Amino acid sequence: MALFDVSGYKPYSELRRQIFPAGATHLANRPNHYSFGTKTQEFAVPLGVDPAGFLKSCNHDGGVCIDLNHGTTTLAFKFRHGVIVAVDSRASAGSYIDSKDANKVIEINSYLLGTMSGSAADCQYWERLLAKECRLYRLRNNHRISVAAASKLLCNMMLGYRGMGLSMGSMICGWDKQGPGLYYVDNNATRLSGRMFSTGCGNSYAYGVVDSGYKEDMTVEEAYELGRRGIAHATHRDAYSGGVVNMYHMREDGWIKVCQEDVSELIHRYRKGMF
Amino acid sequence: MALQDLCNFQDVFQDSLTTERSSVAFGMKTDYMSNFCFRNSTTSFNFYIPVAGYLDESPIKFGQISAAQRSSAILSQDSFLASPSLPASLPVASSRPVPLPFPMSHGTTTLAFVFQGGAMAAADTRSSCSGLVACPASHKVLPIHSHLVGTTSGTSADCALWKRILARELRLYQLRHGQRLSTYGAAKLLSHMLHPFKGTELCVAATLCGWDGGEVDDGCHGRGGTENLSDQTATSQTTEVEKLADVTEEKVSLLKTRSSSSSQQHLSTKKTSVSGPRVVYVYSDGTRLQGTLFSVGSGSPYAYSILDQGVRWGLTVDEATSIAREAVYRATHRDAYSGNCVDIYHITSKGWTCRKREDLKEEYYREKERQRHEGRQRQDVTSSE
Repeated sequence: MALFDVSGYKPYSELRRQIFPAGATHLANRPNHYSFGTKTQEFAVPLGVDPAGFLKSCNHDGGVCIDLNHGTTTLAFKFRHGVIVAVDSRASAGSYIDSKDANKVIEINSYLLGTMSGSAADCQYWERLLAKECRLYRLRNNHRISVAAASKLLCNMMLGYRGMGLSMGSMICGWDKQGPGLYYVDNNATRLSGRMFSTGCGNSYAYGVVDSGYKEDMTVEEAYELGRRGIAHATHRDAYSGGVVNMYHMREDGWIKVCQEDVSELIHRYRKGMF
Repeated sequence: MALQDLCNFQDVFQDSLTTERSSVAFGMKTDYMSNFCFRNSTTSFNFYIPVAGYLDESPIKFGQISAAQRSSAILSQDSFLASPSLPASLPVASSRPVPLPFPMSHGTTTLAFVFQGGAMAAADTRSSCSGLVACPASHKVLPIHSHLVGTTSGTSADCALWKRILARELRLYQLRHGQRLSTYGAAKLLSHMLHPFKGTELCVAATLCGWDGGEVDDGCHGRGGTENLSDQTATSQTTEVEKLADVTEEKVSLLKTRSSSSSQQHLSTKKTSVSGPRVVYVYSDGTRLQGTLFSVGSGSPYAYSILDQGVRWGLTVDEATSIAREAVYRATHRDAYSGNCVDIYHITSKGWTCRKREDLKEEYYREKERQRHEGRQRQDVTSSE
């Protein structure tokens, strides 16, 4: 994908434009598109279709009950020795558990990670697109993209399709020249920099645990334990989270995958001798 | 109110109404309920039902009734019988609910759990009303009697009213039967009293925490140990010292009369009830759950994860207090509808005790200071090496 663009290979749409010059293929001028630096548009909405209006009729006031819940728990926090990213692995479709070992962290490159919550399709597609853009940036500018810029790219992608029904809550974590970086990006194009975030419907349970145990100068082992506990307790109480805890540690020289532990074993360990 | 009922004092207005109501008896025909003589206790259920025409007005004009309606309203308030607005059957369930004048949010954090030292109940103190903090110092943990405390969540007015009704019914039970109703019994009673209002806007989510006392002196196989009557008379003096409620004197005298009257019954009734701390969750849609740990309210997810980490049976009283405090503190930190102070109640075999109300703002600053201090200490250590 990236080499394709860099080598200047003429894509099909450009060839088509040469063959049919009278066709209305200038999508970039349309008001509901945002061209964020790519040569080709990603999704073209056909004329006359108004996704935002259609979705408005599909919400609760219109009598329809289509709720896009972010059914997961992901958390990430910055501390002295980097960024800890911990996610669960349950993919649900309504009340059906689709997968117990879904991968909710996308490894954009060796120093950037993105978490996924919300619609799995949306997250996977847009974060892969982000990965492509980051690679292109590196090839064009000969230095790595910063975490702030990467999150801004994703935010602009979301802005282009705002109100059209995307569902994505993602955290972009990385280590760049400014040190460890953590940004939260939403399908509403909310972009927040912070020290600790948790997304998904299990986020409130994770917040309680991590708030309680967080110290800026934790040791690495303490931080691993905190991340594990946060996800484990959230999966214990939230029905839409479960499976295993996938934990990554973002360090100065890149990320490492710390562990992949089953939450039920963790809970049994933590709650031994409770009642 | 209670004494009036106990003495079978019949109000002139009640006669014809009560005979109609007794046949309905809130849908229950169990033996348990028939003992309660709902006929006499219906004074509390004469809620003022607005005239039907009022319900067609827009909610914005709530409280502003026209002159014609005002006169008819006054009339209906005076005479329970003659008013056309009071239906003969169940008071509220059959009439349309009054529209809420503004959206009410149920924001709070309350929690309760049991451990070896009794039951612990804690709550924040913020009453919110659609984005406004209506009262930063409200009481969400209400004592019901000497060994029972209830946390409230939902609509504050509903909770306060139903707690008082429950307290009255429990006291009547105690006077009639010579012993306290168990926590599970009280929960069942509350749940059944709320049942007619199912489907209306009533919202009461209460956690009843109490200590069930043992009634037999030849060994109760409970975790809390046995309680015999001599203990109870002795503890009545100690509870007088510990309690902070207004009805202290009444309760003490009540205990004394109860112990003297039940000493005769004691030999005949050999109840092998298990004593110990109990926690039950009651919700106005009919849910009634027994358990060991509950947290209710918008801040409950934040509290749950902390309680899940730390609560176990073998906690000491100090550890349990600190966990309850930490859980409420974290919930108030993250939840907008919870905040201000924290109330902690501890229920043991001797009754409930209340810890001094603590402002969580101080705790927040103390924690920040502690973190800054630790950071500075670590820097000193690393710089000196």
